[in-house]
Amino acid sequence: MATPRRVIQLLALTSTAFAASEFDQTVKPFVNKYCLGCHSGKSPAAQLDLKLTPANDYPRWALIAERLHAKDMPPAQIPTRPTNAESKQVIDWVHAVRSAEARKTDGDPGLVLARRLSNAEYNYTIADLTGVDLRPTREFPVDPANLAGFDNSGESLTMSSGLLKKYLQAAREVGDHMVLTPDGFNFSPWPMLVETDREKYAIQRIVNFYFSQPTDYAKYFESAWRRKHGKVVDPKLSSKYLALIWNFLEDPQPRVGPIAKLRAMWKALPAQNPEPQCIAMRDFVVKIRAHTAMQFAAPIVRGIPPGSQPLLNWKLKQYAAHRRDSDPKNLRNDTDPPPVVPTIPRYAGLHQEGAPRWAALSAKARADDQDLIVPAADRARYEAAFQSFAQVFPDTFYLTERGRFFPDDSQDKGRLLSAGYHSVVGFYRDDTPLMALILDAKGRQEIDRLWREFDYIASFTDRTWVQYFFNQSGEVDGKGAEAASPRPIDHAVTDKEVIFAKRDAYLAKAAADLKNDPTAPQAIHEHFEGINATLRGLEKIHKEAEPKHLAALVNFAARAYRRPLTKAEKDDLIVYYHKLRQKNELSHDDAIRDSIVSVLMAPDYLYRIDLQDSTSNGVKPLSANALANRLSYFLWSSMPDAELLKHATAGDLQRHDVLRTQTRRMLKDARVRNLATEFTANWLDFRRFENFNSVDRTRFPTFTNDLREAMFQEPIRFIEDVIRNNRPVFDLVYGTHTFVNAPLAKHYSMPEVQDWTLIADATPYGRGGLLPMSVFLTNTSPGLRTSPVKRGFWIVHRLLGETIPPPPAVVPELPQDESTSDKPLREVLAQHRSNPLCAGCHAKFDVFGLALEGYGPVGEARTKDLAGRPIDASANFPGGIEGSGLKGVKDFIRDHRETNFIDGLSRKLVAYGLSRSLQLSDEPLIERMAKQNRFDTLIESIVTSPQFLNQRVHGKGN
Amino acid sequence: MEKATNMITRRAVLRGAGVTMALPFLPSLHAEAFPKRFGVVFLGNGINEDHWSATGSGASMTLGKTLAPLEGLKKKINVIDGLFNKAATGQGIHPAQTGGLLSGANISKGAIIHSGISIDQMIASKLGADTPQSSIVLACEQPMTGYHETNFSMAYSSHISWQTPDSPVPVEVYPSLAFDNLFENRGSLRNVSILDRVKDRAEALTRRISSTDKSKLDEYLTSVREVEKRVTGMRENKDSADEKAKAMKRNVAAMKRPANGLPEDLRDHAKLMCDLVAIAFQTDKTRVASLLISRDLSAMYYPFLQVSDGHHAASHNNNSDGYERIARFHVSMFAYLAQKLDNMPEGEGTVLDNSCLMFLSNLWIGRKHDNTRLPLILAGGLGGTLETGRTLDYVDAGNDNRKMCSLYLSLMDRYGIKLEQFGDATQRLARL
Repeated sequence: MATPRRVIQLLALTSTAFAASEFDQTVKPFVNKYCLGCHSGKSPAAQLDLKLTPANDYPRWALIAERLHAKDMPPAQIPTRPTNAESKQVIDWVHAVRSAEARKTDGDPGLVLARRLSNAEYNYTIADLTGVDLRPTREFPVDPANLAGFDNSGESLTMSSGLLKKYLQAAREVGDHMVLTPDGFNFSPWPMLVETDREKYAIQRIVNFYFSQPTDYAKYFESAWRRKHGKVVDPKLSSKYLALIWNFLEDPQPRVGPIAKLRAMWKALPAQNPEPQCIAMRDFVVKIRAHTAMQFAAPIVRGIPPGSQPLLNWKLKQYAAHRRDSDPKNLRNDTDPPPVVPTIPRYAGLHQEGAPRWAALSAKARADDQDLIVPAADRARYEAAFQSFAQVFPDTFYLTERGRFFPDDSQDKGRLLSAGYHSVVGFYRDDTPLMALILDAKGRQEIDRLWREFDYIASFTDRTWVQYFFNQSGEVDGKGAEAASPRPIDHAVTDKEVIFAKRDAYLAKAAADLKNDPTAPQAIHEHFEGINATLRGLEKIHKEAEPKHLAALVNFAARAYRRPLTKAEKDDLIVYYHKLRQKNELSHDDAIRDSIVSVLMAPDYLYRIDLQDSTSNGVKPLSANALANRLSYFLWSSMPDAELLKHATAGDLQRHDVLRTQTRRMLKDARVRNLATEFTANWLDFRRFENFNSVDRTRFPTFTNDLREAMFQEPIRFIEDVIRNNRPVFDLVYGTHTFVNAPLAKHYSMPEVQDWTLIADATPYGRGGLLPMSVFLTNTSPGLRTSPVKRGFWIVHRLLGETIPPPPAVVPELPQDESTSDKPLREVLAQHRSNPLCAGCHAKFDVFGLALEGYGPVGEARTKDLAGRPIDASANFPGGIEGSGLKGVKDFIRDHRETNFIDGLSRKLVAYGLSRSLQLSDEPLIERMAKQNRFDTLIESIVTSPQFLNQRVHGKGN
Repeated sequence: MEKATNMITRRAVLRGAGVTMALPFLPSLHAEAFPKRFGVVFLGNGINEDHWSATGSGASMTLGKTLAPLEGLKKKINVIDGLFNKAATGQGIHPAQTGGLLSGANISKGAIIHSGISIDQMIASKLGADTPQSSIVLACEQPMTGYHETNFSMAYSSHISWQTPDSPVPVEVYPSLAFDNLFENRGSLRNVSILDRVKDRAEALTRRISSTDKSKLDEYLTSVREVEKRVTGMRENKDSADEKAKAMKRNVAAMKRPANGLPEDLRDHAKLMCDLVAIAFQTDKTRVASLLISRDLSAMYYPFLQVSDGHHAASHNNNSDGYERIARFHVSMFAYLAQKLDNMPEGEGTVLDNSCLMFLSNLWIGRKHDNTRLPLILAGGLGGTLETGRTLDYVDAGNDNRKMCSLYLSLMDRYGIKLEQFGDATQRLARL
């Protein structure tokens, strides 16, 4: 180090003048004498030509000073050696000149180029923009990295016509997922290519909504019990329905039948662990309701099959309307003879009434149910009790599937929401009890909306009608009469007149025979008039939706561009849409779709550009919006969220307190997983591990794709946890915990786990922290042996940030397969290091790898190598420090290299956060960061630094 | 060898909006340079077995009543009897029998639709890179959705071409739109429009950025211009190729754009679709086509054949004349397409000689929904790789030796797609 007096003296000079004088007087003669012998000429050693290195090549001189300081250079075998004092002069010069320059330019933002989104950023941004994780760039060529090793800078991210074509394809792919709704548009997890895709999308939303509703009676009984015992009730339950159940159970009025029985069960609930009894209560309720549910058949009209849509729908409607009613016919008087178990008729034919078979099946099921026997003398009171019971406990809350002869006992499930028409698409909604008992106003609106959107998205009423018209309307017109027009064409068969003409034909048929069911005319009226009303309503919704889609498009563009749009930009987008409609004759749907594609192809979306509205050159503060983007791409690798953009618009984001609050908020967000992945995986060199294929799976059969994926995830989950919970960054090295899932736990011989689990003390299994993670140990192993060289190099270079010069062109061969090598690797490497050419570098890192020999080629813990020789994990670390195994490495780092670790991490974080390579003016920032030990303060140092908050503008307005 | 599942790893851009670019096919002096084409014509609901027969070979082949429309093409066809898809039997009727017809895949019941990549799309993914469109997928009947009583999605009944196992290729039922896709190259037009717009955006943006950023944006703009030039260039090349062909007095089939909307009469509709396939093959717009004249569970009517039942209802009356007439109509459309291709000279032979057209149905006979054998005709010599004028009978060959998927393997071999397995088959079809 320079003496203080000397430094002051040096700083007194201007750096240029100093550089010139001292460089010529001291440095040049030193270099000429001791270095140029190797480091010059046609092939300079380590590709370092010192003859051509100018005084202001700061990074290179820093490297030279490092080597001189470590006394690695000149190498030991060179006879002409500088004295310590001579070396020190050069080292001092380097430090002083760098220091002077760094302070002069401290915090310079440097040149941050406009950059396209990296493949990873593109995918994360699409996920946030569309709400669906589509990963359109999953098969793009790998993005090149910059000098710092990251793929998020304009230095390395280029564009080409080949890539642009891929972007066009990716944008089209996203466009294919777009689905219009009455209020805007959404994106579906699968492409919306055929009608079935659209139908599936709308159906799944409805079914998922139903399945997410709390309808399990047992849960309500349990929470009622919790309420009774002053405990917190399950917050997921419907408070409205829980109150109803509570009042029902606690009602002091004496009641008979199932009510009395259920209350007795309720009163008998134990003071502890009532779950089994709550389940018994539920089973009792379900049984009673199954045995007292109402049953219906389609009204009989001679000449029309009961599966005919107007008649079948009447039946479906009766079911939906009577789920909270009890059928008194199913109760038996205590004076009645025992019921006769009926014979079960076969399934009726296609299109025929399944009700008789179902009635027989139900009668058989309830034949032995003693709970249905009521005193003949008191029957009215019992019937009333069963009815009150049914009012609280519907036979079902909603119906998602109908079998072939609904209701029936067939196992054919999966026709979600289907009405059950023969060979014709059709859907029917049956969820009255859910609406009445469970859902609050918001829930009711939501499910109403989903059903409305179902018909908007999938046009099922329209298609059912058209298919029926051409396929089954012969029911009234005579067989084959559907062919009034030869085939289904896009005629106006959905017109009101056509619909009502069919209605009238059915009415005439229903009136033709006095024995026909008198409810049939009403059924027919409601059916056809309902279809007409639905279709007319949809026409209106379609018309009203178009302007909403345009508004949604503008909103989408603003989110995609990650900034407010100007008026001109908004207008321009609308003009483009109209041009597509008129000039290119696209449909509304396709015009919206292509407009979305054009937004995703625009440079405003594809590029991160710090727009600059000032007209002069120099260092300028970033606009609030550019800052929001810089922050979110740093911490999330994705677009800013609404809150961040809100602060950008309000203009207070540049305030350090707001910036800090936002940063902390963002560091707790789940999207920090993206930082954990993109930053650490590039920093620690395992980003491509998901495709790692160097393991011989016949020799290591435990290495499966699942295990590989788990290995890849382990450090990401670890670091995500460190960031989100703001743990000390030294946990990365010294931590005794880790995260494992099922395959990884098995690989580490840990007890079984299901999903990802924190193992607080992993040391008994030889794990804890990054060092023994199998992803690194495997990634550095060349197949059938370990590589202490690569492992050591990874620790020293990647984790501790030390610069190691490239190896010479000729490197000795190491055995390929440990099991067939006649010497342990340790001995082979020792031989290698006896060559002084190699020793210079290898002495620095081999030893770290040798200490980890207790881990095999796929990171498995081992006591013997592949040839069966016992493992020796002892190590003689630099400086002659003895240690052994993982603990030896950790101890050595703690005692001797901790500052290297924090310095290396800081450098990488700054380069990543700024999206550029480091420059000398970043040194003061890095020095400040070296005093931190938590992630949030490291990150805050960066985001509040002048280099992060400003930009350097060159040639503005040219 | 490639595995079938790896063939198509990403969905190509659909609706003909692809950015695949290629020069139109220019006739070469070398016969072997003529492209091979593949076409499928589908009839739903099976045939009347009393009249579906072929015996003998070549000029002396005797055809049953339903196959009579192929009389003039006897030397160029193979009538194959007895093949079947095992996976499509015993699962239930209709959709279950159709969803894996061209892939041999086991299809899924219920809400999740899953089939397999069909042979036409396998071939399209191999040949499609060289043509403006990788395939055209046409139908004369709109698809149906929802579920069949057997719990299989109706999508299986409505589509025969599957580009991925999860979703069928959308069918084009409008002849005018199919024409536009082929000849107006609407996909390219749409992309040109988008590229135009983003060019404008980039130029507007350059006013608000510094000169260093401008260099990055220039890189982008250059890429946009290059892609645009290639798209437009392709259209110009196509025009000039047409001009050249005219100047050489070569017979390039001319076709006027069909009227908007659906033709009233199925006969007109089916013929237009065949015309489109023929001209697409001749001009090398695409080398793969599938045409579904009627779908499984078809709801179409045939008043011009004096059949009063709908197609599906008629199919339940196995031996009826009406049912036979419907099948014969489909065969006549197949013959129309084959004849049309055979009238198009190409080198020493015709376009048909360089093609393989396949006619098939999902059922043998309708009443029992029997699909233990399938009606099947191949037409065309596939560039000299397929001997024609034969009747091949596999009815008694044993189940392992009469697989549709064996036929598919044999055909794909001839298109340069060598697979170890396809569907349930690992063996090629003997004697083909």
